[in-house]
Amino acid sequence: MPKRNREQELMAQLIQSEKMASLGLLVAGVAHEINTPMGAIHSNNDIMTRAVAKIRRQLGSTPDAEVSRLLDILGEVCRNNEIATERITQIVRSLKNFARLDEAERKRVNIHEGIESTLSLLRHQLKNRIRIVKRFGDIPDVECFPNELNQVFMNILVNAAHAIKERGEITVKTWKEGEGVKIAISDTGIGIPPENLSKIFDPGFTTKGVGVGTGLGLFICYKIVQDHHGTIEAESSKQGTTFTITIPLEA
Amino acid sequence: MTENGNPTIMLVDDEEMVLNSMKSFFAIESNYTLMTYTSPLKALEDLDRSHAHVDLVISDYLMPEMDGITFLAKVKDRLPMVPRILLTGYADKENAIKAINNVGLYQYIEKPWDNEDLRLIIRNGLEKTTLLHQLEEKIHEVERAQRELSDIQKDILRVFA
Repeated sequence: MPKRNREQELMAQLIQSEKMASLGLLVAGVAHEINTPMGAIHSNNDIMTRAVAKIRRQLGSTPDAEVSRLLDILGEVCRNNEIATERITQIVRSLKNFARLDEAERKRVNIHEGIESTLSLLRHQLKNRIRIVKRFGDIPDVECFPNELNQVFMNILVNAAHAIKERGEITVKTWKEGEGVKIAISDTGIGIPPENLSKIFDPGFTTKGVGVGTGLGLFICYKIVQDHHGTIEAESSKQGTTFTITIPLEA
Repeated sequence: MTENGNPTIMLVDDEEMVLNSMKSFFAIESNYTLMTYTSPLKALEDLDRSHAHVDLVISDYLMPEMDGITFLAKVKDRLPMVPRILLTGYADKENAIKAINNVGLYQYIEKPWDNEDLRLIIRNGLEKTTLLHQLEEKIHEVERAQRELSDIQKDILRVFA
């Protein structure tokens, strides 16, 4: 790492912790706000399904053909609603999981869970354009701050998605090596020019242009991984970039 | 129980849509009588009226007037035997659980809830109340018998004194 300005570093850390705190609050609020109407819709749909079944029973064995057809449609619509509500519930769960509100402390967790919830939050960004290849190895649980590691995955995955201009692939690979767990995130994007590769972890370094990138994303990743006594490295060519993160089992 | 023997459930949520949905569910799947409130203060007012009878209380957590845990603690003061259930859409589960332990809640249900779970939890809660009532009656019976026995004992002692 090149020498960096101490003041800049402190500033970035401050912004980071404030960002995490407000993200947590936002997620808590959003989850509550969504879960109430979701609860009502989910329950109402269940009631309609039950009511349809009761009506069928009331009609007996020879119902009117048109009534029967309408009940079939109602039943189908209810099943469809069920799938839709399940999808929303899943998104809210991923949000909660990602922010790990109830886990601001060091915990022993499965890294794959964090990667999965981060990927599901990015779904709309990746959809149709980028294929995700998961090569998850058999890795033990890791002692870490789950919400912070999730942010590392998020930053790298978002960068990877930005690097892929049209269609491409992101591969997430995990494996155990020695007394640590390794996570490699590779993209088939445009790559990082060699002259920039040494600067990407510096605070304030961005190629995304004023107002687009803060230049803090990868610096934050670097700090978080460093706090976990791990390492983060980047390799890049014109065929794409790979970030490899190592997290020791016992930090 | 009400005059017709159906259990009465008090339901408090500042969101009308939650009350409506639960009311509809129990209307088609149970014989429970539901008392619904968007205001916990109004619910407490009704509880304080002597004729109000409730077998189980369910409350939302986040409400403008007071939070569900405060409300259920007040219910506990008035009706210590009645099972109290907290309904929460809040993401902070650990705090909710802590509060549950402090106030001694029967159960908590997360939003979005599952109707079948809700029904089961309520049924078990009501069963618990019935068992507690039976236990209370038995204790009274035993106490009565004990008093009678001690009266007889006193009589015997008096005769031989």
